This record gives sequence, C-alpha cells and structure tokens, in this order.
Amino acid sequence: MNKVGVKVTLVSGRTLMQGKTMEKGKTSQEYFEAVSYCEIDATTLKALGIEAGDPIQIETQLGTVVVRSKLNKNLTPGIAFIPCGPYFNALIGSYTGQTGMPIYKNIEATIFPAPEEKIPTIDEITGDK
Amino acid sequence: MSETRKTIENVPCTFCGCLCDDLIIEIEDGQIVKNTNGCAISKEKLLGCNENRLLQPLINGSPVSLDDAIQHVAEIIASSRRLLIYGLSSTENDAHREAYKIAELVRGVVDNTSSVCHGPTILGVQSSGEPNAMLAEVRNRSDLIIYWGSNPAAAHPRHIPRYIKKEGEYIKDPKEDREIWLVDIRRTTTARMVNKFIQINPASDLEVLLTLRALVRGHVLDVDEVGGLKIDQLKEMAEHMKSAKYGTLFFGLGLTQSRGSHRNIDAAIRLIQDLSAHTKWTMMPMRGHYNVAGANKTSTWMTGYPYAVDYARGYPRYQPGEYTAVDILANGEADALLNIASDPVAHFPIDAVEHIKKIPVINIDPKINMTSKLAEVNIPSAIAGIECDGAATRMDGLPIYLKKVIDPPEGILPDREILRMIYNSLMKVLKK
Repeated sequence: MNKVGVKVTLVSGRTLMQGKTMEKGKTSQEYFEAVSYCEIDATTLKALGIEAGDPIQIETQLGTVVVRSKLNKNLTPGIAFIPCGPYFNALIGSYTGQTGMPIYKNIEATIFPAPEEKIPTIDEITGDK
Repeated sequence: MSETRKTIENVPCTFCGCLCDDLIIEIEDGQIVKNTNGCAISKEKLLGCNENRLLQPLINGSPVSLDDAIQHVAEIIASSRRLLIYGLSSTENDAHREAYKIAELVRGVVDNTSSVCHGPTILGVQSSGEPNAMLAEVRNRSDLIIYWGSNPAAAHPRHIPRYIKKEGEYIKDPKEDREIWLVDIRRTTTARMVNKFIQINPASDLEVLLTLRALVRGHVLDVDEVGGLKIDQLKEMAEHMKSAKYGTLFFGLGLTQSRGSHRNIDAAIRLIQDLSAHTKWTMMPMRGHYNVAGANKTSTWMTGYPYAVDYARGYPRYQPGEYTAVDILANGEADALLNIASDPVAHFPIDAVEHIKKIPVINIDPKINMTSKLAEVNIPSAIAGIECDGAATRMDGLPIYLKKVIDPPEGILPDREILRMIYNSLMKVLKK
C-alpha cells in the first residue's frame, strides 16, 4: 500500500526552549526534547489521523527524519515548523547558490504518520565518527 | 549576608545580539547565584555556566595536558593543506584576532557564523548601503517599528521590552506613541506583543517588499494581491510607513534564510531608501550570537572582508559561496577544521556534517557540544563575558566591554590565550 501523507511548507527557526536548552547543554535530554518535534496545525493532524505527540516521518527531496508531532493552533494549514537544530538539518541540502547560506526556510516536505517509528537520538542523527 | 557574597552591576549578557548590559549578578563562593534583569535564556546561561562543561583537554577522548593538546593541534594544522577556521561569534574580539593570525600563517580559510545567519545581509549592504541606526536612537525616536521575518520573543527576549516598549526622549508613552508591526509567514509568540500582525505567503518576501517600494514611489499596480496581501492593504501599509515620523525595520532570518536571500535584503534596503525620501527610516538586522556583529567587524579590520576569507595565496580573498564554511565543507575541500565557540555539527546541513566526520576537528569551546563529540582534539575554554573579559559588538554596532565576574575552572584559559599558544606552537613546528 502506498503511504499517504500531507504536503507542507517546512520552516525552521528559534524557540525560547531551544535557546534555553542549548545553553544548558546540547547533550541534555531537555535539548533533545526542544529540537526533535514538528509543529503542525489541527487540520494536518486530523488528515494524518494521529494524536498530537505521535511520531511523524518528514520527507524532503534531500532527507528524511522521524520527529514528534506537536499541535500549534496558530499555524496556517500547509505550514509546519521544526526548531533549528540537527533534526531539521537532516532534511536540507548544502547548496547555497553562491551566497554561503543554505536554504533553511520554506522547504517542500511531506509528512507521514509513523506510529511504529522511534525518534532517533541526536547521536544517531549526526552519527559517530 | 555571607562575606563571600558580592554583587556586580551593569554586567553585559553574552547570549544574543542585544548584549543587554544591565544585568545584576550576585556571586557567592565564586559561583553565580542570581541574575537580575536577564531573560530566561540569560538566566540559564549565567546560572548554568558550570553545567555540561568540558574541564580537561582531550585527544580522541583521552585526557591530556594542555601543552600536549596544543602540540597535537599544531601538528594537525601544519600537516593540513586547506584549514578551515570557523565560529568566533560567541567569543570576544581579541580571540578573533588570534584566529586571523593563524589563518594567515598557514594560508587557511577563516569564516564566522554570519555565513549561515546574516551573511546575505552583508551581501545586500555591500550592493545597496547600510541605513543603520543605534538602538538608543530607535528607543528615543521611532514611532513605527516593523519586525520582518523575526521572532524576538524567542530569539531576543528583551528586545521589545527593553528598547521598544520603553519610553524614550520623544516617545513619552510607548503604548500610545509607538506602533509595532510584525510581518511573518506564521503567527509566532511575537505576534502577541505587537499592534498588527501581517501574515504573508511563504517565500513571498521579495515580491511584497518590491510591491511596497512601487507603492511608496507612487506607481499604480495592476494586481489584486501580492504574497497573500490585498493590494489595498499593501497601499495602506505604504501610506502608513510614509507618514511615520521615524520608522525602523528590524529583520531576521526569515529574510536571509529563505528564497531570495541577499536579494530580499537588497529590496528591503531600497525600500528604506525610498521611504527616506518622505520621512526618516532606518533598518537593523536582528543579530543572533552576541558577537557575530563583532566577528564581521574584526574580520574586516584584520583581513579587509567581513567573512568567507581565504588566505591560500598568502593574501586575503573574499568569496561567499566558495570560502564560506558550508560550501568548503560540502565541496570536500577542507582537510582540517579549527572550530572556535560554535557548533557546526548542530547547525549545518547533514552533508556538510558528513565531511566534518572525515577530517580532523579541533574544537575550542567551554562546553560539550555536538562538534566536540566528533572532534579529535577538544580544548576547553573560559566563557567570555563570565569567566574572562573582552569586547563585543552589539547588533547596532556599539562595542561593549565584557566583564569577568567569576574565575574559570582551574587550568581553563580564555580562547585568546589558547589560540595564541597554538600560533606560537605553529611558528615552532613550521620553523618560522
């Protein structure tokens, strides 16, 4: 059976918790929790047939990652948000268009429910040397 | 009160580009116990400065002496042919100088974190000018503030409370005399703090900015809607912006990191210039790291260029897109990385990180971070602005002196000392 997902425009950015926990330490459980989720709106949540907090798989042309879903009632349907950090970075490429800046915002992505998937640890995302 | 308890006033916070210099820090038994005036992030940074620390130099995870670590670093750098020196934005200016000296000595590349934050702002400024202002000037005079693609409630928590919602010389009652707008693609927490939230379509910033320019210049446009906004709404915005006494545009990574990049900034600058034909307008990037603006300034003082500097030919050359950290890593060019006070493994795209895994990494940072976990050599350093002094540059270009409020852990030196030791060791290894 084909997977059924929801297409979104994915953006990243800072959050207060991402900033606080980054200062606490990037190896802390708090930092993991602050960067390993994706905010989606109620319509997307319903279309995916999941509850807030369930794992979701996000796919872009350049990568895929499993994160925790989080309801954001203020989001417009079609927009999803992941705090900046290693989970979002797993979805983007390094092409900078001769500016030095990769595109960190407004990425086309598809979100799928992933009830059986485990959210990887930060070490699993970045990998050991 | 305990005899060992003391209070230090007017301490600058070394987290974001606001560099709030009004913290009151209380110290007991050599530890920070209270941070008055700091935001939630500032409190975490100062009160938690001992959490997650790296306290001993490491080579491949094994503790070594500082001298042995420095010697090993010199050997790595001396045997590299394309060293990338990166970071710098979360340390003080004197450390920057030492890093540029190393880059020049070994003909390496030196880049700072602005290449993945406001680097496109610099490109825009280089092509169109810099209609900048000081934050105090904005607080004293500005009656219309626009945040565009920026979420200060999360990234610069005291920007609005300290500069915008406070009274100024000509803004006696900020609630009545000052209007705040937010332009963004999503309703962020900042939307709760402003008078008007203007939601535009994703990646439509350039079109909206150029439309506003056309309307400010009096052109009639044969369209109904641009970027999700009705043309009448855009006309109203343009007229309101023209009628402000002193307008200020604060912009964030919503402009630099999305489609259009430096062209968005170029358009924003041109809009400010057009508005300045009618009234006074200025603009300012919301700089993230507390001294990323300083890294651009020191790089310009020392090398002639603000970031993305290559010394391969023995003299500095500047080329964003080629000598910027993400490009030089993703292209597989760098054969060693000297990372100072930043965490590229946490913030770079995964394929740039893949290259970091293949090369020797020297990581100088006070704390254990994701880059330190991949580094061949880790050297812990003192936290600038807490455990050592220095100078840093606020987002508006104002230099601020950082205070040392407590001693660093035993044997831990400031970044500038460590880099100086590396430079001296390199001179011996290279027999210069």
